[in-house]
Order: sequence, then structure tokens, then C-alpha cells
Amino acid sequence: MGKPKVASDWMAGCAGCHMSFLDIDERIVQLVELVDIRATPITDLKEPDIDGVDVGILEGGINNTSNEEQAIRMRERCKILVALGDCAVFGGVPAMRNFFTIEESLRRAYIETESTDDEGMIPKDPELCVPTRVRALHEVVPVDIFIPGCPPEADVIFYALSELAQGRMPELKDKYLHWH
Amino acid sequence: MINLSIDGKSIQVPEGTTVLRAAEQAGIDIPTLCDHPELTPYGGCRLCVVEVEGAKALQPSCTLPVSENMVVRTDTERIQEARKFVLTMIFSERNHFCPYCQVSGGDCELQNAAYGQDMTHWDLQPNWQQFPVDASHPYFILDHNRCILCRRCVRACAELVGNFTLGFEERGAKSFLVADLGVPLGESTCVSCGTCVQVCPTGAIIDRESAYIGKETEVEHNKTICVGCSIGCGIDVQTRDNRLVRIKGDWDSTINSGVICEVGRFHPVNDDGERVLTPLQKKNGELKAINWEEAFSIVTNLLNENKSKKNLAIASTRLSADDLYAFGEIFDKHLGFDVVTSTENGSTTRLVRKYSETSQNVFKGNLESIEESDCIITLDANLYDDHQVAGFFIKRSLPGGCKLISIETRETAINEITGYAVVIDKKKCGELLDFIISVSNELSKSGNQEDLAKQIGSDISKYGIDIDKLIDITKSISSSKNPMIIFGGCFAEKENAFNAMINFANHFEIISKKNSNMLCLVGGANSLASSLLRLDEEIDKCDHDLLLALIADENPTEKLLSLTENSKQMIVCSSYFNKLTSKADLILPVENWLETEGQYINLEGKIQNLSRSIESPDNVKSTAEILDQIANNVGCKLDKKNGIKEIKQAKSPVEIID
Repeated sequence: MGKPKVASDWMAGCAGCHMSFLDIDERIVQLVELVDIRATPITDLKEPDIDGVDVGILEGGINNTSNEEQAIRMRERCKILVALGDCAVFGGVPAMRNFFTIEESLRRAYIETESTDDEGMIPKDPELCVPTRVRALHEVVPVDIFIPGCPPEADVIFYALSELAQGRMPELKDKYLHWH
Repeated sequence: MINLSIDGKSIQVPEGTTVLRAAEQAGIDIPTLCDHPELTPYGGCRLCVVEVEGAKALQPSCTLPVSENMVVRTDTERIQEARKFVLTMIFSERNHFCPYCQVSGGDCELQNAAYGQDMTHWDLQPNWQQFPVDASHPYFILDHNRCILCRRCVRACAELVGNFTLGFEERGAKSFLVADLGVPLGESTCVSCGTCVQVCPTGAIIDRESAYIGKETEVEHNKTICVGCSIGCGIDVQTRDNRLVRIKGDWDSTINSGVICEVGRFHPVNDDGERVLTPLQKKNGELKAINWEEAFSIVTNLLNENKSKKNLAIASTRLSADDLYAFGEIFDKHLGFDVVTSTENGSTTRLVRKYSETSQNVFKGNLESIEESDCIITLDANLYDDHQVAGFFIKRSLPGGCKLISIETRETAINEITGYAVVIDKKKCGELLDFIISVSNELSKSGNQEDLAKQIGSDISKYGIDIDKLIDITKSISSSKNPMIIFGGCFAEKENAFNAMINFANHFEIISKKNSNMLCLVGGANSLASSLLRLDEEIDKCDHDLLLALIADENPTEKLLSLTENSKQMIVCSSYFNKLTSKADLILPVENWLETEGQYINLEGKIQNLSRSIESPDNVKSTAEILDQIANNVGCKLDKKNGIKEIKQAKSPVEIID
């Protein structure tokens, strides 16, 4: 049968949730005895296995077509999809861009910033992904488990992963539930 | 009494109790957001909905009165779903960002309500329309993105403080919190009491200074009293790592029930005075740091040198009763200084103290009397600057029909809330009261207002007041059932005004054989105590040889500075550098009010305890320690902790109550 496979990725996030995951410190040794950690942004494999993983974890909101692809791909290739952190669960800090139009945001970023030289221009190459409204993960694909937090505490992540590793759905409440 | 059952529990409560309060009494917790124990129920958030047998829809328990044999369920699946739905709706109505909010992580009632329902996410997205942030106010910021339209702030501004600045405009999704008729908060009629900040359940109203410094769930709490004025409001001083974070009103205090003013809530946190951290001696025009041994020996030398000269000792009215007592014992009784008095020279209390020599406990009004009175007469009370909480109590009883007659010596915003406001020259205060008495006599004789108006119309011109208004005022007082006088200013300082007031009070039976519904505002936290310890002499402006000013953390007034500027030598015990320390020959650092403890008597005569919230910096001593050492050095035997005992033996204008 083998150990359950886990893959993670990050989108419009700060990587803080993955750092918080690493804050489980030596408990990672316990964890890898129970699960097979496959692709993550901080290990060698970068995409979830084509023949699927058991648990997919996504950090960060969706702010362009590339993130959309990541989200859809992960949803297709995993049985249980976990939204990790406030950005994936709610949209988070990047979602504040939604108060402005995409044109305004691009102009500010590429032309108006004080450190840009006069030749600022908005990238338009067809190979580049297209910015979209910033969305929470569940606005794009169905999500099975939401782990809010900014970032979720290491204890929360460890609890959720160890429950999943033992075939149970984690119940996030009381000390395991925080949105800050 | 009504019998009902909640979640199977049989309860009996008085008629008129709401289901929410009945559940509370039975130990059943129903989550709420717009409800607040100190405010009238609003029923706006719908989080407290319950199932009532026989009713098709869920009912808000905060506004539903109990009825006989009512059967209530508070925790069914239907209710859980409804609560999650309500919260989802509230979150999606505006823009709630938890990651960086100042109250996120314990202090947000909205977030806590979501946790209470085990919500891990929102099903609906936020509004994504930006709502404005009003940062025009000096003390707090209004972020409309976080407002849940609960109206707690509106109700607090109206019901607790009587200011009525906050309100709502528009309806439905466009409902919007406004100040006055839609002006920035910093330009409105807001009096900066901060009660709205205290009751806001989310981060919509944020106090600037304490933001991010310490959440209420993480700081140390110390319930103590404010020493900003003679009211002595109960406060909760919150500190972290020995540093002041914020001050809130203590809802449990019997004096103020949680209401405090700008002076108590915001001034301490916004204080940027420079602390004196070591004894300093002026040598060749420069201040030199010395140690305490040297400092005390300089004090002793100065006291000896100036033994039979013209010496002046002043103590702050913010000091504790025991400190004031010790001060009096040393400088008055033992060293025989010429003038031993308080920073206010007894101006707010001397006259009333002397009056009580022949008429003890003459002023029986207290803050509760304000609620019970149907006609309040304020005499030079100046309630917009000092003693603001008394002003709040008055303002909030006006909608209930209480009349407010205000006779002030300067224009204040009082003129905007009552038609019976009179502004009169300081010198004519007493005369005006005499005049009102004569008008009252005329009215009871003839009763014809028009004739009376013609008769006295010319006399009144010197007061610059409309005659009809004056007649109205007189009639209002005569016809009221429970009039009350709250006085201060010239009515407490000037003999003729004071005497006129006593006549006035007697005439209108505000002082009678049975009762006396008068309240003297007194001045500072322990002004009454200083006066009862006879520390209320007037300072005659002259060249004193030695001045010892135990000013502690008080800011010297211009008047005090001018009375003391010609002193030949000055010892100043102060917490901060100020205009007085800049003239001193010797400066001794002393604890401020947060770092000290002691007993204080408020304007109602109630004895309260100030308890320590912060440890003072290392080299700074308490007033008690300093006085102790000085007493030792001059051979004065101090019977410590005698303040209250001594005070109780004096004849007091108000009854001293433990």
C-alpha cells in the first residue's frame, strides 16, 4: 500500500506558511515516517505526481492564470485538497489588490514606482501569464480542508498533517483555529 | 415573576427580562455581537437568535421579553446553521482582513464569534468595494471596512455619555456610521471620551497609541482609579513589560460604571513629558546629577539655613491622603513654614470647608443624584474641561426629561444642549442668583408674567440676559420636584457668590431640613482631602526665601508659576521636567500616579484606593519615601498612614464614606 503521498505548492503567498510548516522542527522526522512527502517548492520535485497524490496542499491566493493552472492541476492530482493559510483560505494580503483595477495595479508596479527608470513598461509577452482578480482557492476549485492562519501555527499544521496521515480528517477548532 | 424553560432548564425571572439575560442568569451562553450589557438592546446582528416553540422564525433573544411558559432552545442544528450564515453575511458585507488587524487574535468579538462556530473559512467573498478610513481624530481611527453596523458606538455616545455625536445615515447596504451630519470625526462635536473605542467589537475604531502594543488578552490588568480630577473614576490600567499600554473604564466601578473621559483615557498614554530620573542640583546655572545622600543633605541644609524665614511649601492635590498628611506634619506642624498649601491654594475647597465648620455634611448630592433629579442647575461648573464624567451623567439624563439650567462664566458647548444656559460675568454671579430669588418671589405674588417682564425688564439688562428666559428658568426651578445644584468655579471661590448660592439653595428648598441636593465639584483628585488637612491657604505673592514644591506629576499652572517665581531658593520634587523644575535649585525625582499607591477621597466623600500599575524607574523614589527621609533628618516624628484618620476628624462639607 505504501505511505500516503503529500505534495504542496505555493501561489500568491509569501511562503510563510511553508516556513511555519518547517517550524514543526524535529517532528518532521515523525511525519516522514507516516507520509511520503513528494513535490514541494522547497524540495527537488516541483509538480505533484501525474498519477496523483493523496493530499495536496496549496499556500497563497490565486492572482494570475499561472496560479489558476497550479490550482487546477493540484485539484486534479490529489484526493484531499488543503488550503493552507489565510491567502489560500480567504485571499489574504495579496487580495487587497482587488480594490484597484488590474490596469491600475500594473501601471503602479511597472511604471509609477519611484525606483523605475523612465523606460518603465508593462510586460506584454504572450508567454506570460495574465493577472486576474485575486481569489481564494475555493473560488477556483473545490477545497476539502481549510487551515486558516497567517501563518497557521506549526502545531496546527502538524496536527492537521498527522491526522491526515492516520486517515482522519482534522477538526480545526479551539487552539487549532486562528485566523491571525 | 415569569416561568420559562431554556434548553430544558426551568428558570424564573422578573417580567420584562429578555430571553438573552434570562439565559445568562441560567448560565447559558448565547453568542452576541451588537449586544452590550451597558447599552439598550438593539437586535441588529441576529447572532443571538433562538428557537421559540410556537414561533415559525428564529427570534433574537436580546430583544425578546420572556413570557409565561415560553420554551426556548439555544443550540439546535438550525440555530448553528443560522449563526454561521449570519456571520458569513457580516463578513461579506464589508472588508474584514484579519492578518494585520490590531485586534485580530483575541480582541475581536467578530473573529471570536466565528471561532465559536468553528468557522474555518468564508463561503462568500468580501465586498471588495473600498470603504473609507477616517483618521482625522487625534486619538483614534475609524476604519469603515471593519464596521459591522452594530450601533454600539452610537448607543454608547448617546446613552452613556449623552453626546449624540455618532449616528447612522442611509439604509440597507448603504448604512454608514457618521459623526454629526457627516463630517470627519476630528471636526465633529466629539468630546474624545473614547467610549466608542471601548465598546467597538471589531477593529473599526482603533486607539492609535495602543495599536499593536498589546492585546487585552495579553497584557496585565490593574483595576484602580483615575486621579485626573475629583471624581476618581474606576479604570482598568493595562500594562505590558512595565509599560503603559492603554486605559479603559472599569464597567464594575460604582462611581462611573465604566465611563471615563479624555483626561483619564487618552492623556496618560499620549504623555510625552520627560521624566526626571536622578536628583539634580543647579550649579553655576547648570543641572548636575547627584546621588540621593547628597540630595537629602542639601535639603536638610536648606531647611536649616532658612529656619525662621519666609518659607512656602506646596503639595499637589494628586498626592495620596497619607502623603498629604505627612507633608502637613513636616512643613506646617514641625517646621512651621509660613504657608503650607496645595497647588490650587485651596481655591476650590477653602470656602466650603470653612462653611462646614458651622454646617457639617451640608452637601449631600452625589453622582447618582444626577440620575434622579428632574432639574439640574450647574453653577460655573465648566463640565467640558474638567470633571467631564459628571457632565456626561447630566447630558445623558436630558433626553429623559431632566431640565438643565446652566449658569457659567464663559461660553461652552453647554449652550447648544439646553435652552436655559446663561453666561455671566464672574463678578455678577452672586447678584444673578439674588435676582432669580426676587423674580421667584414676584412670580408667586402676582403670577402675571407679562407684567413682571415689564417690571424687571430694565433691571435685567445689566446681566445681558433675555427676561423671558430668566422667568422660564425661575419657573422651571420652582416647579421641579427634585432640583440639584452642581457648583464650582466662582461659586466655590468667591464669598459673595457662595453665600448667594446658599441663599438660593435655601429659597428653592434644594437645602432643606431633610436633605441637601448639592454637589461641589471640588478640584483635583485629593483637593477635598488637602483642604480637610488644612492645606488650603492662599499664597500671597511675595519673595519667599525657600520654596519646597512637592508637585509630583502635576503640571504647574501659570498661576502657580507666577506665585512662586520670586522664591529665592527652590526645591522641587517632580516626576517630569517642567517650567517649575527649570527654576529649581534642587530637583528630586518622584513617582508618578501610575507608580504610586494610596487613598483618595472623591467629590462625593467616598474613599478609594489607588493601586500601583507600574514599577518606577530605579533611581526614582516615592513621595512617601522622600517625606519619610526628610522627616527623619529634621527630627519630625511621623505617625504614618494617618491621613484618612486625621481627615475623618475634621468637619467636612461632605460625609466621608469608607
